[in-house]
Amino acid sequence: MSATREIISTGNDLAAIAAVDAGCMFFGGYPITPSSEVMHTISDLLPKVGGTAIQMEDEIAGVAAAIGAGMAGVRTLTATSGPGISLKAENLGLAQMAEVPMVVVNVMRGGPSTGLPTRVAQGDVAQAKNPSHGDYKSITLCAGTLAECYTETVRAFNLADRFMQPVFVLLDETLGHMHGKAMLPTVEEVKAGIVPRKKFEGDPADYRPYGVAQDEPAVLNPMFEGYRYHFTGLHHDAMGFPTEEIETCRKLIDRLFRKVDEHRDEIESNEEYMLDDAEILLIGYGSASLAIKEAVNVLREEGIKAGLFRPITIWPSPEERMYELGQKFDKVLVVELNQGQYLEEVQRCMGRRDINKLTKTNGRPFSPADIIEKVKEL
Amino acid sequence: MSRIVMRFTGVGGQGVLLAGEIFAAAKIKEGGFGLKTATYTSQVRGGPTVVDIQLDDQEIWYPYAIDGQINFMLSVADKSYQLFKDGVAEGGTIVIEPNLVHPTDEDRKKWNIYEIPIITIAKEEVGNVITQSVVALAIANTMMKALDEQLLIDTMLSKVPKKVHEANLKAYELGKKYALEALEKGPAK
Repeated sequence: MSATREIISTGNDLAAIAAVDAGCMFFGGYPITPSSEVMHTISDLLPKVGGTAIQMEDEIAGVAAAIGAGMAGVRTLTATSGPGISLKAENLGLAQMAEVPMVVVNVMRGGPSTGLPTRVAQGDVAQAKNPSHGDYKSITLCAGTLAECYTETVRAFNLADRFMQPVFVLLDETLGHMHGKAMLPTVEEVKAGIVPRKKFEGDPADYRPYGVAQDEPAVLNPMFEGYRYHFTGLHHDAMGFPTEEIETCRKLIDRLFRKVDEHRDEIESNEEYMLDDAEILLIGYGSASLAIKEAVNVLREEGIKAGLFRPITIWPSPEERMYELGQKFDKVLVVELNQGQYLEEVQRCMGRRDINKLTKTNGRPFSPADIIEKVKEL
Repeated sequence: MSRIVMRFTGVGGQGVLLAGEIFAAAKIKEGGFGLKTATYTSQVRGGPTVVDIQLDDQEIWYPYAIDGQINFMLSVADKSYQLFKDGVAEGGTIVIEPNLVHPTDEDRKKWNIYEIPIITIAKEEVGNVITQSVVALAIANTMMKALDEQLLIDTMLSKVPKKVHEANLKAYELGKKYALEALEKGPAK
């Protein structure tokens, strides 16, 4: 997509605008700092395009309403922060199991529990991988610039319909509230890029919504169009009805994994900044990458060749690329606003334990100076 | 233009956020890069609030002002002044509301501190305390010569409701007048 449209805005507002441009017609949620502006803005925008935004009585009802809209067949959004995801977790599991597409914007703040409501953190990275019990494969995108608060939300809607499951977009307090310039694709381009979810067009008697290839998502037709099937959180058969049949149960969970794993090339997205001639590899994502880029620029002025690898799709992680980078770079530093949630994934992908970390969990952002100092110690 | 870094501090509810958005938007309209970030506490009103504004011709990655690199700070609450003053570069400019902010003698040696009764101006001379954000905007721009004045005023007017255009224009003129007077008088000793 091009970047020709200049908008001056905040990350939260850009996520809301992106949702509407991507064809979202329903928002269900409950306000929580630092994500509330997503709801404020979309509540203003949706009625103007014939959509619906509703503030429910709590976080749980908010996601439940959004899932209902997804079941009915429309593009649907909820937005919250970490404590809200904790409350929504059970229903997010239902959406994974029943294969209901939706986008969940999580504007991260300090945790655990109510934590630091107005301050930045990246503490929900592990949570986004497995918010609910059971086995499924998370798709989580992590915006690292104002523009990406828009473009990644758009991408999330397309991925949700492609893979028929909730897709997380992680923002954080810094990105959600910072106000500046974003260069975006045009609305026409975004609209032209919309790929709606697959629909079964044949005889309703032949319709098997969950009876699909082992690496493909369910094909769920919109409700009230004559195609009948059943939604459940229980293990289910090709029509969606509960079953405990051994092979059906095995294949169902296997398929929830394979529909994502075998199409990673459609999901993966990374940025490599000043990496070609780098001698020190920094890995970071989200707003922390803004401080890292500034630090890389300063370090290079001083003759220290640092570079940044930034996963934009953080789940599933860019396993192959991280393995290659782990082979190439001796010195690796992971920088994240938590105690090392992604560090463990980097260690796993690289097959190495000698990865350095710079972490922070006091609600304050990294300054470039923090990173420069750490790099010089390596 | 080298980077201009400004910090507005107050307490939650005073409404210093708007000035930051106006500065950033005006700089972007001029073809450059502007970023505003705000940090506040979970207290609804009364907690220390800080707004960082960075204006540059080059792209700005890191969105917060870096301590020691702040050229200009404006403060309308003592607790935020005390908390954030050390971010201002030595010899930098600080504008305080003298009824509410109390710098030490050492502070006055370290920085150029000007006293302008921002809240009183908004409340009594403009007649609407909410316009203090625009009084502050005018003071900052007059002292820092950051942006073209007409562009800034036009941007400001595009961001406030029409019915308060006149009040905000008056607030801008008064802010500018007080800033010019303060500059002529020199820093308060």
